[in-house]
Amino acid sequence: MTLDNDIITFLSAMTEASSLFVAAAGLTLVFGAMRIINLAHGSFYMYGAFLVTAIVGAAGGGRFWLALALAPLAVAGIGTVVELTVLRRVYRRDHLVQLVVTYALFLILADLALRFWGTQARSVAPPSLLSGSVSIGSSSFPVYDLFAIGAAVVVGLALWVLLQHTALGWRIRAAVEDPEMLATSGTNVPLLSTTVLAIGALLAGLAGALASPLQSISPGLDASIIVQAFIVAVIGGLGSVTGAAIGAVIISLFDTAGVLWAHSWEPAFIYLAMIVVLALRPWGLLGAPER
Amino acid sequence: MQRSRIGISLAALAAIVLVAGCGSTSSSSSGGSGGGSGGGSDPTVNIGVASTLSGVFGAYGQAGLNGIKLAANQLNASGGLLGKKVRVVTGDDQIDPATGETVTRNMILNDKVVALFGSVSSAVASAQETLSAQYRVPMFFHIANDAVLTHGSSRSYAFEFSPNTDMEPAASALAFAREIGKAPVRIATITPNYNFGLDTVKTFLADLKKDGVSYTVTNQQTPALGATSYTSNLAAILSSNPQYVFVGEYGSDLITLTKQGSGLRLFKKAKVGAMYDYDVLNALGAQAPAGAIAWDRAPFWTVNTPAMQSFVSQYKAAYGTYPNEFAIIGYTAMQGWEQAVRQSKSFDTAKVVAALSGATVPTIRGDITIRSCDHQAEVPEATGVVASTPSSQYGVRLWTNAYTAPPSQVIEPCS
Repeated sequence: MTLDNDIITFLSAMTEASSLFVAAAGLTLVFGAMRIINLAHGSFYMYGAFLVTAIVGAAGGGRFWLALALAPLAVAGIGTVVELTVLRRVYRRDHLVQLVVTYALFLILADLALRFWGTQARSVAPPSLLSGSVSIGSSSFPVYDLFAIGAAVVVGLALWVLLQHTALGWRIRAAVEDPEMLATSGTNVPLLSTTVLAIGALLAGLAGALASPLQSISPGLDASIIVQAFIVAVIGGLGSVTGAAIGAVIISLFDTAGVLWAHSWEPAFIYLAMIVVLALRPWGLLGAPER
Repeated sequence: MQRSRIGISLAALAAIVLVAGCGSTSSSSSGGSGGGSGGGSDPTVNIGVASTLSGVFGAYGQAGLNGIKLAANQLNASGGLLGKKVRVVTGDDQIDPATGETVTRNMILNDKVVALFGSVSSAVASAQETLSAQYRVPMFFHIANDAVLTHGSSRSYAFEFSPNTDMEPAASALAFAREIGKAPVRIATITPNYNFGLDTVKTFLADLKKDGVSYTVTNQQTPALGATSYTSNLAAILSSNPQYVFVGEYGSDLITLTKQGSGLRLFKKAKVGAMYDYDVLNALGAQAPAGAIAWDRAPFWTVNTPAMQSFVSQYKAAYGTYPNEFAIIGYTAMQGWEQAVRQSKSFDTAKVVAALSGATVPTIRGDITIRSCDHQAEVPEATGVVASTPSSQYGVRLWTNAYTAPPSQVIEPCS
């Protein structure tokens, strides 16, 4: 392979990593603060993508930027409703109960999506500003993919600012690191939980919205993303957003390595990555070991 | 007490694998009992459509079901079949053989269906075929097309109305051969990593050789079915500098691959061939790759007959969209079943099977003969080139240079 092909391959992996990071960041944030693994997180991602097609289609003339702003907010609203009506009742329950409940949500949301949007696959073109390709030597790389990578970096920085430099972020970190202390500090824990779930849903919706010009949007997106996002979150350490970023890069590089060196085994490579990381650090790369 | 994160992680991973395996929720189960067995004074007779109606492949099953329902509604509007109204009972197999078996058995035993229309997945279809032989109910395949369905020991009651997995790659190989000519070429392939995809590529390459094309395979990629990123695979393919690329992906996977491939200028650097059917071209819109080689089992725009035009209009009026190949083949399968029932004047399985085996059925796709040796319909597969401008009639970039490979060119002789 030539150097420009190597660069294209690396950038392709980073595009994949960007989508995985934004999706997994929401999942890991929710688990870290609320100790709940939300299988419906994949549904939020899918809804973000479908809402983009609905807004772009309804608005006509390619209102992608409007869709990119509105879709995650709408999904955050859905997440808020889900938290208030369902999840709030299972926080203190056994984790297996929580998994069953969120799996039920997953199924319900999938069925609703079928009714809203049908079974047909949909496609959204990137906005004209980001269509086309850039040349890298004799190869080409899509402009939109570069945007997606940049957007993930911006999201990561925004999350860092939120978690490190805001009162809300302090409370979220406290919920991750010492939930008992947080409860005694006078924090409105139910409101915090709703806020965190809304942020998690917004991130999932944003990931789906950002990914919509990159792939077909169809039923089944929820199932495919939740597996990958969960693996990224586990590798990074449940509750660690920075870990999710590192995990996303690792998974994407492993996936690409599979493509290059053992393509018939490619699907297994990401699971291999998970096994290797967990064997060396059972709590994930930046997760906390059990006290 | 802090719970073990490893234990939580493992439990969650198990649940998530379950989610990924099960996919979306099932649709309604098959209708209630009380349907006709075909005999007696019951005014209705039940036919069963046990297909995939949700999840990634739900679009295929739903389209096939729409074609079957349209045929049933038309039958009922003209007085029914042998004086009985045809009631369509549906069930969602969720692309899982065990679920498909349960749904199909339930239709046979509880709904007393007199005919079955099968799954999207050939794995599910194989299980259904076994049941159709066990319970002696005629089975019609309009989507699943693995050649094994017409080669196995349970095929006596099953009929295949799609071009099978030998015929489809044979047609695509012909399309490539017509494009390539005699000069040696470099070809890469990318296909989903499961039975259908791998067999398709293997058969395509073998048929290409039989068609006299001299080629070197430069790179082969086998991403997982349902992959969301093909960029690395396509970058690897492009780095091998192929002149032609055979793509085994279809449906939503093909849409994703095309979008990502366009960004890498795949379609400018190589001549690509794939199953660019109506649904894919409609979804891609302006992103449809002009000049790509295309093939499809039953593209309505290549059949310029009054019967097809009428069907297309009625389908659009009923469902708000133009029919894809699965809707057309589902409707055609119903036409075959209807003829067999009318000719035998009975819903009895043995009589229906005997009437259809070897018969020629006039359909919206033209006259179709059902081979008596294996119950494979002698159907064509169409090929063409994706157009650069939308059709003035349908508003979608369809095909130019359409060529319908007749059955004689693509079907394997009876063994």
